[in-house]
Amino acid sequence: MAKRIKLAIGLGSTCSGCDIAILDLNEKILSLVALADIVFWPTAMDFKLSDLEQMQNNDIDVTLYHGTIRTSENEHIAHLLRERSKVMIAFGSCACFGGIPGLCNLTNKKEILETVYKETPSTVNPEFTTPKTKIAQDGHDLTLPELFNDARALPQIIDVDYYLPGCPPVVELIEKLVPIIANFLEKGELPPKGTVIASDKTLCEQCPLTKENKMISRIFRPHEIIPDPKRCLLEQGILCLGPATRGGCGARCINARMPCRGCMGPTAEAKDQGAKMVSAIASILGVENEKDLSEGDVEKLMSQIKDPVGTFYRFSLPVALVNRRVKEGG
Amino acid sequence: MAQTEEHAAKRITIEPITRLEGEGKIDIFLNDEGNVENAYFQVVELRGFERFCQGRPVEEMPRIVTRICGV
Amino acid sequence: MDGTDGFEPKIIGFCCNWCAYAGADLAGISRIQYPSNLRMIRVMCSGAIEVTYILEALQKGADGVFIGGCHPGDCHYQAGNYKTMRKIILAKQMLAQLGISPQRLKLEWVSAAEGQRFAQVVTDFIEEVKKLGPNPLCQEVTQHG
Repeated sequence: MAKRIKLAIGLGSTCSGCDIAILDLNEKILSLVALADIVFWPTAMDFKLSDLEQMQNNDIDVTLYHGTIRTSENEHIAHLLRERSKVMIAFGSCACFGGIPGLCNLTNKKEILETVYKETPSTVNPEFTTPKTKIAQDGHDLTLPELFNDARALPQIIDVDYYLPGCPPVVELIEKLVPIIANFLEKGELPPKGTVIASDKTLCEQCPLTKENKMISRIFRPHEIIPDPKRCLLEQGILCLGPATRGGCGARCINARMPCRGCMGPTAEAKDQGAKMVSAIASILGVENEKDLSEGDVEKLMSQIKDPVGTFYRFSLPVALVNRRVKEGG
Repeated sequence: MAQTEEHAAKRITIEPITRLEGEGKIDIFLNDEGNVENAYFQVVELRGFERFCQGRPVEEMPRIVTRICGV
Repeated sequence: MDGTDGFEPKIIGFCCNWCAYAGADLAGISRIQYPSNLRMIRVMCSGAIEVTYILEALQKGADGVFIGGCHPGDCHYQAGNYKTMRKIILAKQMLAQLGISPQRLKLEWVSAAEGQRFAQVVTDFIEEVKKLGPNPLCQEVTQHG
C-alpha cells in the first residue's frame, strides 16, 4: 500500500474561498499532507493544464473539485479530472449545488454581457466588444472558453462520489477528510458512495437559539427590527433558512447573529431547498388567525418576502427542480 | 474567419495562470529570432455578478458579493 | 402563438380524498362530461401536498397543476387547507419570479357534493392553460451571446 495518496484540487468558476478554507486548516494541514501528495492545485502551486492532460487515468486518488460549471473550460477540466481520478469529491456549495454563481440562472448570457460590457457605469466600450470564443488578433488566433447560458453543479455533468458542502466548507468538516483518507490508505475502504460529509439533519438541530413554536404575522428586514439574540430568528419574523438547510456547519452564521442563508444546501429528504422553505414559512406565517385570512390577506403576507427565489435558492438554484428563469410565450 | 498567419516560431501558452485567485491564461508568440513578438493575457471566466445582483435585496449584498473573491 | 393550434394541455391534479376527489367521483357517477386533460392524483389532504410535487410536475412537462381541497372550515384534518393556501400563494410568487405564469397553478375548493362544480372548474382551468400555451420549461430557448 502506498504511503501517501495523490490528491488534486481542481476548480471551475470559483472564488477560491474553498482553497482558502483548505489553508484554514492551519497546522492541521500537516496531517493532510502527511497522507497526501498534492499533484494538482493551480491556486496554490504551479500546476498547468498540460500536467493534468499528461497523467494517466486513475493516476489521482482523490480530487476535490470546487467552483460552478459556468464555461466550457470548467466542464473540460471537470471531465478530465474525473477520468484521471479514482475518487471525486464535490467540494463547496458551488460544486455541490451550483452556489451563488448559480443565480445567473435568473438572468441569461445576453443580459449578463450587456450589463458587464455596456451598462456598468465605469465601462467604456462604445463598440460593445464582448468575449468571443475565437478571434484573430495581429495575425494570431486567440481563444476563450464558451460561456454557458446556464450554471450547473458538478454532479450534473460528471459522476460525483462524495459531497462536502458549505460556502466555504467549515474546517470541522474538511478535517473529516483526514480519517477518510487515512482509512483509504490503510484498508482501502471508503464511505458509501454519495455520502455528504456534513450532518443529515437540518441546521435547526444545531442551532443554539431557543425555539418556542411561536407563530408570526410579519416578516422583518434587518433595518426593521432589533432581534432578541437568544430566540429563534424565524420566530421573530427574520427569514432564516435553517429549516431547509443541512446542518454540520456549527451554526456559524447564527452564532454571529446572522440568519442562515442555506449554503449547506438541502437535506437528503428535502430534494428542493426552496420548496422546503415554502413549507417552513407556511407553517409559521399567518397561522394564528388563519381562519380569518382571505386569499388577498395571505398574498399580502407572503409578499413581505421580497425575493423568494433569490433567497431560498441562494446557493442551490442550478439543482432546483425548476432551475432557471424562463419566458412565457417562447 | 479570414486566414491568419501563424509564425513558424513558437507559441507558448501558460494555462492556467497559477498561485492566484481568478482564471486566466497567457499566450506568448515568438518571432523567428526567438524573441517575444506578442503576448496576450486573457481572463477566461465570467460569472455575471454585475447582473444577477440586480433584483436581490440590498441587505443581501454583503453576503453575495463576498463570493466574487474568497481570498 | 406557434404550435398551440390543437394544443391539448397536460394537467396534473392533486385532489384531497375527502372533498375534491369525492367531488370528482360524483362528477363521474353523474356522467358529467368534461375534458380529459387532467391526470388525477389522490392525496389524503391538500395540506399534505408539498410544493416539491408541483415543481416536479412542471419540471416534467405538466402545462398546469390543479390542487383541489376542502372549503375553508371543512378540512377533514381541521386546518390542512389553510396551510395549502399559504403554500400555494407563496409558490405562485416564486413561479412568477421564475417567469412561469402563476396561472398555471390553480387552487380550488370543491366539496364532495359538488360534482358539477368540479367538472366546471377543471374545464375552466384547461381553457385558461390552453390560452397560456405549452409549459415554457419545455420550450427550446435559444440565446445569442
